[in-house]
Amino acid sequence: MSTLLEIDDLRVDFSRDGRVTSRALRGVSLTVEPGEAVGVVGETGCGKTLTGLSVLRMLPENATASGRISFEGQDMLELSARELRAVRGRRISMVFQSPGTSFNPVFTVGYQIGLVAERHLGVGRKEGQRLVAETLHAVGLPNPESVMRFYPHELSGGMLQRAMIAMAIICRPSLLIADEPTTALDVTIAQQILRLLRSLQREQGFGVFFISHDLDLVSDFCDRIAVLYAGRVVELGATAQLLGRPRHPYTRALLEALPGRAEPGTSLPTVPGAVPNDLDEAPGCPFAPRCPLVVEQCFRERPELAAVGAGQAAACHRWDAL
Amino acid sequence: MSVSLDSPEQLPEAFRSTGMRSRALRSLRHDPGALLGAIVISILVFVALAAPLLAPYPAQGRGEANVPARDLAPSAEHWFGTDHLGRDVLSRVMFGGRPAIGVALAVVILAVLIGVPLGMVAGYRGGWLDEALMRTTDLFLAFPPLLLAMVIAATLGASLFHAGLALAISWWPWYARLARTVTQSLKHEPFIDAARVFGVREPVILARHVLRNATTPILVQATIDAGTVILAVGALAFLGLAAQPPTPDWGLMVAEGRTTVVTEWWISTFPGLAIFAAVLAFNLLGDALRDVLDPRTGAR
Amino acid sequence: MSGNLLELTGVAKAYPVPGAGRKGASILAVDGVDLAIPQGRVFGLVGESGSGKTTVARCVLGLTPLSDGSIVFDGTDLATVDSRTRRSLRREIQIVFQQPLAALDPRMTVDNLIAEPLTTHRLARGAALRERVGRLLSDVGLSSVHLKRYPHELSGGQAQRVVIARALATGPRLVVLDEPTSALDIVVQAQILNLLVDLRDAHGLTYLLISHDLSVVRHLSDRIGVMYLGRIVEEGPAGALLASPRHPYTRALLASVRGRGSTTLDEPPPITGEMPSTWDLPSGCRFHTRCALRDELGRPAACETTDPASATVGPNHVAACHFADRVPDPSQGN
Repeated sequence: MSTLLEIDDLRVDFSRDGRVTSRALRGVSLTVEPGEAVGVVGETGCGKTLTGLSVLRMLPENATASGRISFEGQDMLELSARELRAVRGRRISMVFQSPGTSFNPVFTVGYQIGLVAERHLGVGRKEGQRLVAETLHAVGLPNPESVMRFYPHELSGGMLQRAMIAMAIICRPSLLIADEPTTALDVTIAQQILRLLRSLQREQGFGVFFISHDLDLVSDFCDRIAVLYAGRVVELGATAQLLGRPRHPYTRALLEALPGRAEPGTSLPTVPGAVPNDLDEAPGCPFAPRCPLVVEQCFRERPELAAVGAGQAAACHRWDAL
Repeated sequence: MSVSLDSPEQLPEAFRSTGMRSRALRSLRHDPGALLGAIVISILVFVALAAPLLAPYPAQGRGEANVPARDLAPSAEHWFGTDHLGRDVLSRVMFGGRPAIGVALAVVILAVLIGVPLGMVAGYRGGWLDEALMRTTDLFLAFPPLLLAMVIAATLGASLFHAGLALAISWWPWYARLARTVTQSLKHEPFIDAARVFGVREPVILARHVLRNATTPILVQATIDAGTVILAVGALAFLGLAAQPPTPDWGLMVAEGRTTVVTEWWISTFPGLAIFAAVLAFNLLGDALRDVLDPRTGAR
Repeated sequence: MSGNLLELTGVAKAYPVPGAGRKGASILAVDGVDLAIPQGRVFGLVGESGSGKTTVARCVLGLTPLSDGSIVFDGTDLATVDSRTRRSLRREIQIVFQQPLAALDPRMTVDNLIAEPLTTHRLARGAALRERVGRLLSDVGLSSVHLKRYPHELSGGQAQRVVIARALATGPRLVVLDEPTSALDIVVQAQILNLLVDLRDAHGLTYLLISHDLSVVRHLSDRIGVMYLGRIVEEGPAGALLASPRHPYTRALLASVRGRGSTTLDEPPPITGEMPSTWDLPSGCRFHTRCALRDELGRPAACETTDPASATVGPNHVAACHFADRVPDPSQGN
């Protein structure tokens, strides 16, 4: 079975008036195997959402992407507009953070989901609506026939998120990009949505590209995790290994900073400083100014992502000191 | 006390100065329309103020007739030609800028001064005060400005001052509504809650927090409205409801030349162009002001 | 005199349903909440959206008037004070908001923002004012570099520090923390949590923490109250409540968030369904429609007919459930 998605050295720059205003992604490489869930984590501005959008090539006009994004054998960055439209929503789907804003408020939920089926599967209105009802049932919505006739504002957050998932899976894609799908939801609803995604994944076999800033969430759902920092992947590996024995100081810093893992009331270990801004061109490791394990080499030579164990890779000169 | 910091020197994004002056310059550089608007307004204001010095025939500009030289086509002595009473059109246009811009500013300022405070208080308090204001504005908005001007002209006599008055009365409800809408959207913002929690008194909240955040839409609207007022005054003058001869008023001048638009075209056309230029310039400037005034949109 | 800094008794807040007509139907966002916080302690109020926790906070802060009940601050009933005392009490009760950028006037610079509470209460002027602003700034870990910045020129963490500085300016005794770190990144959240702990120790502050994030609540709180549909369904010492919850909702919450490597997603869900709407409350126990324990016990009639009163289930620990003693402890996957 060949790799479902392979991102190889993806770089994205933003420019204005001919000048580069931001180097947002600086060589992201990661893979997703068929049926696998890969978590892409990091803090604000690390580029995780941008990476997900790049896979679908949904980038703003002033963005330039380079590198290779290979999906089912095709390079997403090379596809024509027509070929792209055939992939988006059909082979690769996306679920967003805020379900309310992904639906057009003036059309019913059933109509909008039906459009996706009609367009991609070439079915007529009637067959499309039947598929919609079937899919709404599959995502756990009671009374699909009546739910279909509701407008987005008439549904609660949890129900709307299920509807959005329905819209994403109705064409049975092989890859689902989920961008913080549960962040805007209450915790008891969120865990229902995660369970739904898990069972749908098992049933339909799609791969999941799961973007989140919540390490605990991702640890529950994903088989492998990629940690992003300042537009690069700094660590990659199987969930249990990565969280049990991180091999990059940033990953460890993230884990240690979680209040849930510390004794109540104690001082949480943190790292000083902040993420370098997106035009920073300093040589060496981007985490060096903040790293507790830093040595002189870190400022001179940028570490590349390299294997540090079975199926685990880290971009750090001092990985074995962790 | 151990307090960890994010580096104080660290800036969230590529930090470009967002002071007002640099924003203004940057927006002028990027937006040719804004630049044009700013230039034209500056010229118009300068010319209007310096008319006595710049006009080739200042006395005629003010209204003195020179009948033997009437209806002359544009030439070296009279760049814009002369009107039916032999007055130099160029000088007239220059002097005409004064009442036009003056009235525009006066009307807009008056409308803002009346409408904005009323709208803010109504928007913030809600309830019966808000209802009362809304019904009052409905009443005023029901009057077409032209009709009101006519009524005032009929009762108090036609003059530029009365025309301005009529327009101000017609205009303030728009600002009340605008201020009210902006206030309503702001009043639920956490930073307003914060001010209340701090015990800041209501008038101070309105003046300090609401007004300053409402300034942009109000000022932008006011700038564009200035242009519209010039147009409206021009229309009223055309109808004889505003400035009376021999005042050099653009609308009046267009009216004076209307019977001979084909033959002595210059008499109506140049004042007409002046009105056009002023309105366009105010509109362009209004758009540019939006970028300059909001510290957030200028940064990227 | 109970020695509690803050005491809420029977606090209720009703909102009229628009268009309900003469009937006077209303939504009870908060329906009889009792809680007490001794000086220097942290009380964590946990709940999801619709639980009423934010409304409780707003009532304490005086942003929303009560429909019923009383709020007593340091022995003074807040409903009985005149406006002048009210205003001076505002110096004692402060708030830190969830969205730092929304909590700061976008048109004011940091120095004016921090000075505002001081000038509002005429606590300082001129050079003394500048000095105090400078001190507050360094108390929260910022420097003079930030003084002339606008809120949008600050990072999330820096903006939250400004919010905290403002809250501290008047020397309050009670600070309401409304989801103080929900909008922040992991590392910044840790920094802000550390700051909040340090400030509490340094100034002897009392916190009312409102949050949906159990790990943050656990980290900061001495006592925890769990809210559901306008009521506190369980309240107790933080450690005991989290280790041995005595209300099925608390247990469901804990099971919903845990998941550090454990395969909770493959086990049956701890809770299904959504929170009922406040104008269509379930009969009897409000939680019974989603209660896993009720199902496990074969759906006893009491759950549907009788509203359980809050009963003691442990030292200083109460829960409103007919079968509180049958709630199993969280599984040992932690």
